[in-house]
Amino acid sequence: MTRSIWWIIIPVLLVLIGLLGYGLTSNPKHIPSPLIGKPFPVLQGVDLNGQPVSLGNINGKPTVVNVWASWCVACRQEHEVLLRGARRYADQVSLVAVNYKDELADARRWLRRLGDPYLWSLHDLSGRIGIELGVYGVPETFFVNSDGIIVEKISAPLSDAQFAAGVALISKQ
Amino acid sequence: MFNLYKWMSVVFLCGSLTTVLASEVNEDPLERTMLDIAQKLRCTVCQNQPVSESNSGLAKDMRDVITEKLKQGQNEAQIMQFFVERYGDYVLLEPPRSGNGVPLWLFPPVLLVLALLVAITMMKGRAKNSAPDVPMLTDDDRERIRRARDEDKAGDE
Repeated sequence: MTRSIWWIIIPVLLVLIGLLGYGLTSNPKHIPSPLIGKPFPVLQGVDLNGQPVSLGNINGKPTVVNVWASWCVACRQEHEVLLRGARRYADQVSLVAVNYKDELADARRWLRRLGDPYLWSLHDLSGRIGIELGVYGVPETFFVNSDGIIVEKISAPLSDAQFAAGVALISKQ
Repeated sequence: MFNLYKWMSVVFLCGSLTTVLASEVNEDPLERTMLDIAQKLRCTVCQNQPVSESNSGLAKDMRDVITEKLKQGQNEAQIMQFFVERYGDYVLLEPPRSGNGVPLWLFPPVLLVLALLVAITMMKGRAKNSAPDVPMLTDDDRERIRRARDEDKAGDE
């Protein structure tokens, strides 16, 4: 028994050390989303101009839903990417947004100053829409295919490459 | 002076009685239930703080959502389910006891058993390498000892 017990102990120790290494090198802020593969919830609301809008299943086109706020520094970082992406992929995808916990005046001023790449931004002052979408930080972006299924959710500022990759994912049918 | 101390003590004594007589704080049972549920949920923005304690905007929103759903008549299981569907198992402060959570719960007791096995193994190994038996004195040894003692005594005199 003395010799053979090590055949169990050493692998277990190696597995534990491996898991510890994986855990220590992972980003504690990144939470895998359970919404991937699920249909995008249909959520009614009002956009920044007071017009009624509905999230989920937009025009039957693949959709990119971006969650942003004027008080979010990282959103500013990502805004250029969205402006470029909206122009480049205008005929492939619809780009809409959820304006998260933002005062109306602040949000509109921000878009006026930096440009508005979105078809519209749903005004989520209370943050309820955010909770329906599992939003825990801003910015977040959902890539939704034309069947209304969430294919990807990025909980960080987008890069041009990520935007392109997301569009490719939801465009192929 | 003597009188002053006596009256001061009487006043303080009476003052301390008021704490017993004060009415109980009215606790809203709905808020109590909400906090009980919030205590089991993790505030995903604040890294390991329960929603009941966190000051972040998201935690406050989550508490409001719990209160709303309680008013609608939902129970704890339904409310927890709502958050898990949107934020994943990570939103629960206690890992689920089924599915993905099973290895998490099994790991510590299994590890404990393995540690005990290692301990037993090492103790057995040490038993084999224990000190050799104490040699008993032979008659020759005893003779030598007796002679040495006699020589010693002779030397002292």
